[in-house]
Amino acid sequence: MELFALSAAEMVRGIKEKDFSASEVFASCLSRIEALEPELSALLALTAGRGREEAARVDGMIARGGEPGPLAGVPVVLKDNMCLRGVPATCASRILEGWIPPYDAKAAELLAGAGAVFAGKANMDEFAMGSSTEFSAFHPTSNPWDTGRVPGGSSGGSAAAVAAGYVPLALGSDTGGSIRQPASYCGLYGLKPTYGLVSRWGLVAFASSLDQIGPFARTVEDLALLLSVIAAPDARDGTCSRRERPDYTAPLAASSLRGKRIAVVKELDAMRSSVDSEVRRVLENTLNLCRDEGAEIVEVSLPVSLEFGLPCYYILAPAEASSNLARFDGVRYGLSRREDSLLDLYFSTRGAGFGAEVKRRILTGTYVLSSGYYDAYYLTAQKVRSLMKAEFRKAFGRCDLIALPTAPTPAFKKSELVDDPVRMYLADVFTLPVNLAELPALSLNGGFTGGEKPLPVGVQFIAPQWGEPELLNAAAVLERRLGKAPIAPLGAAAEGGNSR
Amino acid sequence: MTSRYIPVIGLEIHVQLSTATKIFCPCSTDYIGAEPNTNVCPVCLGLPGSLPVLNKKAVELGVRAGLALSCTIRNHTVFHRKNYFYPDLPKAYQISQYDLPLAEGGEIYIPGDDGRPRRIRITRLHLEEDAGKLVHSAADGRLEGAAFSFVDYNRGGVPLAEIVSEPDITSPGEAREYVARIRQTVRYLGVSDGDMERGSLRVDANVSVKKTDAATGEVLCWGERTEIKNMNSLRAVERALEYEIRRQTAVLAEGGTLERETRHWNDGEGVTTSMRSKEAANDYRYFPDPDIPPIVVTEELLESTRNSLPELPWAKERRFGEEYGLPEADAAFMAESLPVALYFEECVKSGASPLRAANWIRTEVFRVMNEKGFSMDSFPVKPSALAELVSMVDGGKLSTTVAREVFAHLAGGRSLKDALAAAGASPGGLSAEDVEKMVEKVLTVNGDVVEEIRSGRDPKGKKIKFLAGLVMRDARGQADAAAVSGILERRLKEGR
Repeated sequence: MELFALSAAEMVRGIKEKDFSASEVFASCLSRIEALEPELSALLALTAGRGREEAARVDGMIARGGEPGPLAGVPVVLKDNMCLRGVPATCASRILEGWIPPYDAKAAELLAGAGAVFAGKANMDEFAMGSSTEFSAFHPTSNPWDTGRVPGGSSGGSAAAVAAGYVPLALGSDTGGSIRQPASYCGLYGLKPTYGLVSRWGLVAFASSLDQIGPFARTVEDLALLLSVIAAPDARDGTCSRRERPDYTAPLAASSLRGKRIAVVKELDAMRSSVDSEVRRVLENTLNLCRDEGAEIVEVSLPVSLEFGLPCYYILAPAEASSNLARFDGVRYGLSRREDSLLDLYFSTRGAGFGAEVKRRILTGTYVLSSGYYDAYYLTAQKVRSLMKAEFRKAFGRCDLIALPTAPTPAFKKSELVDDPVRMYLADVFTLPVNLAELPALSLNGGFTGGEKPLPVGVQFIAPQWGEPELLNAAAVLERRLGKAPIAPLGAAAEGGNSR
Repeated sequence: MTSRYIPVIGLEIHVQLSTATKIFCPCSTDYIGAEPNTNVCPVCLGLPGSLPVLNKKAVELGVRAGLALSCTIRNHTVFHRKNYFYPDLPKAYQISQYDLPLAEGGEIYIPGDDGRPRRIRITRLHLEEDAGKLVHSAADGRLEGAAFSFVDYNRGGVPLAEIVSEPDITSPGEAREYVARIRQTVRYLGVSDGDMERGSLRVDANVSVKKTDAATGEVLCWGERTEIKNMNSLRAVERALEYEIRRQTAVLAEGGTLERETRHWNDGEGVTTSMRSKEAANDYRYFPDPDIPPIVVTEELLESTRNSLPELPWAKERRFGEEYGLPEADAAFMAESLPVALYFEECVKSGASPLRAANWIRTEVFRVMNEKGFSMDSFPVKPSALAELVSMVDGGKLSTTVAREVFAHLAGGRSLKDALAAAGASPGGLSAEDVEKMVEKVLTVNGDVVEEIRSGRDPKGKKIKFLAGLVMRDARGQADAAAVSGILERRLKEGR
């Protein structure tokens, strides 16, 4: 097996035992990237030189008997809305073109400290607004399972990079489903942590009260490994919890579902028509596996979340975004159009720098915050958000985990929804209540669609606040039944025949 | 029916809080004289991905000021974003407070125009971040006519407390008193240096006039209000308001209408000019800042702050009157600033008579401070030394003239002993016996004058004063003048 195809844990073990070097691992990943990137366009920047240096540093440390950390020599990719000192961070937007952050995101700092090696920055929907990565100002990304389809979004580049075997680990950000939905479309594990578990320092804000950084991986062990590294308190983020974090890799060994109550959601039945039958089949199959493993399947009701979550989200997220994105005014950094007056500088720079979807959300957000509309929209949405939190709290009185589809459909075709924002927004109907309720949720690959080109289909598990160990435990049990998430059959890997 | 125009004034005062670091980042707040854009970091530059973290010290200072102004402190307070575009505002929103300010519903008393205390209600005190500073290329430094502008973010993120008064102020003089009172208070509390010229205390005034029936006081019509900016001294506050009230009254008296607008005080020309109309009201789209969790002001913080409040100027003033019998003006002078009050009380504790000490501080101490550019804190004459000097004068051991000379030597850095010697005065003064001897000598030497007095040729007492002067000269001022003339009179009678 080629080195790039190993899991992160396998890479770390091999590097530490000197079976192979970090430099060899990086070279293997790099050639994988170079072979497939023309087809996938998953990245916005490749940091080959920097990565080689970091890998060499890890090798040197090991040669001297040092301890390079739990991610020693593992190549990783960051979504391009995270700051890495000296590497452009564009958020896939023209307006930030050329801006080079003078500082590291906390998550990047933690990765570097754990011995990870940065391979590049991943494509995304502009400012993380979108569900297909087609709203990148630079280029769309292809789904490694079917290049005619989208990888999901907004962390589509990160998901595609892991699914294609560029790297075993990537970071995404999830504001309304932006890690879980692409994880589902690309057949990966993706985790959206509890709000406040991972520092947002250095994550370019979309909607501050909803944004969380989270991991993508092809194995549960890798997912837990990466989460353990990035889940740390940070005095530079006032919303980052100071509570102690457990070792997320610890529960995996003793995993079982005996005595666990896993809930299905009553309202899903009424939504049958808008959920793809293959998605329903995969969810049912996964729940059967849970039952086999000793879990009790119960039912909970989430009427507010499933009916009002989407409109609530599309008020609150744009409201915060309209304010967060106001700083891109052409005065200090990024795109700046030369004009004769200050007002024209603003109009011209922002007019040219933002894409249509971003403008749509800025307009929506500005509207709902305007005096005269604030109470009807923003304030009402905040009340709904409180109701959703209460509803989830109540539901978790009756169960340990809630199971839902990650997305209503498998990956859709490129261009299919670009001009239909409402249908595009519906791709997040099952994920965004989780952000509004500040809960953790994990998407795992529950199976594939039938047909000539099988597409992965995700299942989402939701836990109460700080319930990440519970999620990882369930995922580890199911991984024994479902297998690890495969690398998509592309290029050389395609010959091996990776379908199940 | 005759009508009267009565001013209605409310003030918004921005006070820079004296924290070492900015309100949401670790940058220094010491921007005066700093190279532009050197006290900056990703947070106060609003770089993408940066996050604000509240400086707790700013909250503590805000609580301190709020309590001193008799406000109710909210135990649960929230920061909002005030959204607007301007180059000095790097995030395009100012982190401020909106409907849940830190402190509300306070009051402060000022001397009214009639000399009686006037109560001015404080609407609220809230915290916010300062903006950066634009430096325009035009010759007069103003935006009009500037081809380009520079922006310096050193000041951006410096913590401010905005203190808003109710429109309880009814004259420019009261406005001046109010600002002076607030400035004095924040200085006493140590929450701000309150320097208006350097901009660490900035005043905006909302002013209108109401037309009333002179006989009944009934309000006949309310004028539109204007907001006045750029008043950089107490004097400017008073003058700007005087001008603006005259202007508004004239417009209304001529049957004209006033526009709601912001006006700029031009100190050189002594006029206010229109800056911008408020017709198109800015919609700031306030909403709670999701980056900053709600602030909980604990009972412990309130308690410890309350306990650490100094005696406030008005209380000190009252006590100086009651405890030391100082006249009102002296009490106010001694309580004006905390260092002076402390100096005064040290003097009294060291044994000086309060009245005499106050008198010396008002005159001699302040004269020397002004001449030599000393501050109270750096003043070289220790309160104990001044107290001793004052006591010597009181005890008749030193004349005021010589005491002034001694004081000048003290202010020059000498010890009391050296200063006394330098002024030719012996520390113990002269004994009654010494004075007796000196009188004897003068009487002997001036036998002719003595004869004239004894024969009744000194109806106006001029000659006896002449003799007293000679004794005092010989005593180098160390004799008590009253004692000298007493002895002289006795001896002149005796010898008859």
